[in-house]
Amino acid sequence: MDVAMINPILVAFAEILPQIGFQKVEKKSVALVGSTIDYDGILLNIAMIGSIKGVILIGMDLDSAKRFASKMMMGMELAEFDKLAQSAISEMGNMVCANACTQYSKINVSGLDISPPTLMIGAKGQATLPVLQALTILFSVDDIPVKVYVGLV
Amino acid sequence: MGIKVMVVDDSPFSRMIVTEALTEQGYEVVGETDSLEELIEMYNTSKPDIVTMDIAMPGSDGFECSRALLRNDPKAKIILASSMKDEETEAEAKRIGVLGYVQKPVDGEALSKVIQNVLAPDTLFSQLGELAIEAFKEALAQNVTRMAKTPVTFIDSEDIDTPYISQGITCVIGIIGQYAGTMMMDLSTESAEKIAEAILRRPAKGKEEIIAMVAELGNIIAGIACSMINKKEKAYSLRVSPPSMFHGNTAEIVSPSVKLQRCLAETDFGGIFLGVGFKKGAILWM
Repeated sequence: MDVAMINPILVAFAEILPQIGFQKVEKKSVALVGSTIDYDGILLNIAMIGSIKGVILIGMDLDSAKRFASKMMMGMELAEFDKLAQSAISEMGNMVCANACTQYSKINVSGLDISPPTLMIGAKGQATLPVLQALTILFSVDDIPVKVYVGLV
Repeated sequence: MGIKVMVVDDSPFSRMIVTEALTEQGYEVVGETDSLEELIEMYNTSKPDIVTMDIAMPGSDGFECSRALLRNDPKAKIILASSMKDEETEAEAKRIGVLGYVQKPVDGEALSKVIQNVLAPDTLFSQLGELAIEAFKEALAQNVTRMAKTPVTFIDSEDIDTPYISQGITCVIGIIGQYAGTMMMDLSTESAEKIAEAILRRPAKGKEEIIAMVAELGNIIAGIACSMINKKEKAYSLRVSPPSMFHGNTAEIVSPSVKLQRCLAETDFGGIFLGVGFKKGAILWM
């Protein structure tokens, strides 16, 4: 997968997250990984279909996911990663990926659409993406670590 | 009772034109605003049935305002009013969850027609709800029977709100088209191993081969089910994504924006959970 293909996703994160209550969106690292990845906490799956196809996964550990959702809910304290928090994180993924489709159209990758998000919540799981190699981007969002896996071909 | 509409536009002139057009058509304009800050408060106070939204506004654009409004109330019914009419603008509006589109300068009759459509029951969507689970069940039964030579019977699960806990291997496939959706298939590693052995006519070489088999089975089932649905009504134009596979633990699987219809397929090799759901919205474009 071409590294330039993640630029629209970087732009989408930088554009959307400040709109939903975050101040600092930093890209910490980008790396190439194989198709199977480990996760521990939550992993949000959103499929992208069109002239390119595949999946975008957004992962956080459970504590980070609670902090992230809490920020989206104006600082509301969250003891559990409950339904409201699950919905907030899913909505964030939906907004970012919808915006990424628009960013892709600006570099002539058009006709993209996204599926509704599916959220996996569990300890020490694995995910296999439908590509041979994926790119992983580590973000720090107001000091919350967020891992994004991009598997698009 | 009249239909209440709120008008969001940065130009006082445009607001006047839209308000007049709405009033002439018999709608009640319950609020007008030009800013994101005022939008949510006014929406929550005036509780409109419809919000018309200009796309290009200084400060926050119509997309940002629509996102904020839908975060505040996912059931908000937004109609975009814009002089811009290009495919990407429409596509982005649809992805956000905007329900309708009307071109500026706003024609009262055209706007009224879009409002009526947005408020009308979505029969195509209701029909999909009935078609989808049956098509996916049929595709699963046919293919599991054909490939693994086992009879398949179904137990329907009415309890659609309970979170589902994975039995070991989960295949998630995204669907796009007139409505976006998700298919989820889940089974235990033992069942997957037995099915793989039946299909391959030898034991699977390892976990990777078992996961690849479930991915392929999910892919075939989703592809065939969506073709069956498209054949019955081509307006659905459903297309599927390649499968994402989740394994190695017992994760809870939730799909917050979609109500899944679920069932359990019983086979000689164990149960296969099947969940299918579609998201309503974004279909009324004039």
